[in-house]
Amino acid sequence: MTAVVEKPAVSGTLEEPGGPRKAVLALALFESRRLLTRIPVLVAFAVYVGWTVWRSGKAWGDYPALQDADRATQGAPMLIGLAVLLSVNSAALRSHRHGTEQLLTVLVLPRWRRTAAHALSVVAAALLTAVCVAGQFGREALRPGAIGHGSVGELLVGPLTVLLFGLAGLLMAGLVRSAVAAPLLVVLFLFLFLFFSGMDYGAALWLLPVVEDATSNTLPSDLLGRPAAWHALYLAGLALSLGLLALLVAGGRKPAVFAGVAGTLAMTLVGGVAQSAGDSPELVRARERASVHPEQVQSCVRRDGSTYCAFPEWEPRVGDWARVVDRVRSLAGGGAHEQDVVVRQRVEARYGLSGDAALESLKRPHEVTVGTQWGGNRVPEFSAAVAGVLIAGDEKAATSICDGRIVPLMWLAVGWESDPLDALRRVRLNDTVTGSDSVLQPTDGLYMTEAQTEVLRALLDLPRAEAGARVKDRWVELTAPKITAARAAELLGLPAPEGEDKCL
Amino acid sequence: MPVTRQLVLPVHRTVPWGAVGAAGAAGLLLAALTRTGETAERLSLYLLRAAILAFAVGLAFLLDDPARHTTAAVPTPRPVRVALRVALAVPAAAAWWTVALLLVPQGARPPVGDITLEAGAAFVLAVAGAAAAVRFSEVARPGPPVSGGLLATAVLALLFWPGRWALFVPVEDERWAAAHDRWAVVLAGAVVFGAVCAVEPVRRRIRF
Repeated sequence: MTAVVEKPAVSGTLEEPGGPRKAVLALALFESRRLLTRIPVLVAFAVYVGWTVWRSGKAWGDYPALQDADRATQGAPMLIGLAVLLSVNSAALRSHRHGTEQLLTVLVLPRWRRTAAHALSVVAAALLTAVCVAGQFGREALRPGAIGHGSVGELLVGPLTVLLFGLAGLLMAGLVRSAVAAPLLVVLFLFLFLFFSGMDYGAALWLLPVVEDATSNTLPSDLLGRPAAWHALYLAGLALSLGLLALLVAGGRKPAVFAGVAGTLAMTLVGGVAQSAGDSPELVRARERASVHPEQVQSCVRRDGSTYCAFPEWEPRVGDWARVVDRVRSLAGGGAHEQDVVVRQRVEARYGLSGDAALESLKRPHEVTVGTQWGGNRVPEFSAAVAGVLIAGDEKAATSICDGRIVPLMWLAVGWESDPLDALRRVRLNDTVTGSDSVLQPTDGLYMTEAQTEVLRALLDLPRAEAGARVKDRWVELTAPKITAARAAELLGLPAPEGEDKCL
Repeated sequence: MPVTRQLVLPVHRTVPWGAVGAAGAAGLLLAALTRTGETAERLSLYLLRAAILAFAVGLAFLLDDPARHTTAAVPTPRPVRVALRVALAVPAAAAWWTVALLLVPQGARPPVGDITLEAGAAFVLAVAGAAAAVRFSEVARPGPPVSGGLLATAVLALLFWPGRWALFVPVEDERWAAAHDRWAVVLAGAVVFGAVCAVEPVRRRIRF
């Protein structure tokens, strides 16, 4: 028996309510669930979440600058991206691997619509990554000492990387129907990334998905000069164009898909060109102004007679600085006990994020520098700078102190801390509490000789009230220039030091 | 023995040379990147390691055998069949490795013996992983999961391997010699593991 079909058979989905779209969504849900429970993806998420939780709070403690915290969310999602690349590639090749391609062609969804469902499953993985990134950033933002502004463009990089890698894997499955292609693509991605980020290509570096500025310099968010929004546009355009190309390769030759490919390629191009524009003249001027004449962009507040000038984003931190200044002044004797200081926040922004030029000491009387970071070692460093200004009069003179005045200076710097010895260890360059060592400060450092360290240690061993009273009693003699460590010990009623007392 | 000789051609035809060749090509591409400039020369050790990883990914497919369940019944035992495949791959791997080394400029080439040890350990580990997948499961193509596992191992080891037992050290590092003693241990361990896994289990797990 022969049946003659007059009209070509039409796919049944067209008559269903909701049409093929509903079927694609149903398949996408199924594929998302499968993708997110693949072993590589589960392992990647476990490692990512574990690593992020373990590291949280290690970089900035309780005082994160959110314009740095947003960038810190970018690197780790690449791991998820690579796992998604492998898994979505293997999922898209599943029917090929099991030889069921021909069976599926009789079903309601043509191959390109099944590819669309796989693409949507990658979107699900990217959304889950976005939740993780939001959690990581939110945790930093909710810390009481958080300052500054995060950038949406920077935060989008993590999820967009996952989307980009996943859709690249999907396109690879359409182009090369072999299981070896995806692992090789992962190796290439991994090491091309290493290769190009190890090289200094300037603006071309921004063609990579994640651009990390390896630096510990924190800048005000308007001086960062990172084209984050353009980069997010570039990544989104690149990812979507790969996904739409995968649809084209799978046979979805619809006008809308062609238009989509053209549109997303244009997005990529616009983002790619705009992100490589480099630093604008306005940015260079703004950086220059913030570095050389910070007073033009800062606002000042007075607390207990002292003045605190900070970049607008750092104003909430004035209270922390004022507490340190109060504690340091309370230990000082003579006129220094009442001396008001000017705390000036400074930053060296002229060389961008990657520069780490040191700040020069200030010459104006009773003006002391504070940096853009806080917490951890930055506290005793600032404390030492305040003590230096109280004793020497200005920062330039304080950083060139080279005599027994170091003893009262360091007493003011660490004497008020709950664990002065620990603060002393943290503020010294080599983390020592004996012998000679350099003392770090926001600007130039100080140098402590072995003898000065001995006297200070003996002073710190006394009961706190007793030590404070002895320093205040002999304040004028102790802070006279050219005093030796032995004389300081004598004034304080401490045993004479035996070590070397000669500074560099 | 004559049976083995007669097996050479059929086994050669079932070896997935396509996957191994593609991986080799990708590896050579990575090795060739060392010739693109001075910065690239400084990265030559890392690029060579990447090339090793790429080729190892290809070798993870070496034991793929769609006819596995049919050939299980032939009188030649599995260790011989696996050894035959490995024997066929060894000259190819040696030739590939020579070309990869020659692609790296003379001055930027890491110590040849030590880096060959790393390459050997990675290659043997890949094949041993495939042998383990064949030994402990019923999959006919262990390639995709084993290559995924190999990549995951490489990435996680790179990120989290404790510094006390460092493996991935730069040439000028003082731990280089000690690291290569460890690589030798890895190689020996992988050889033993692979040899153990190549043996056919006496009983097959029955699944319904």
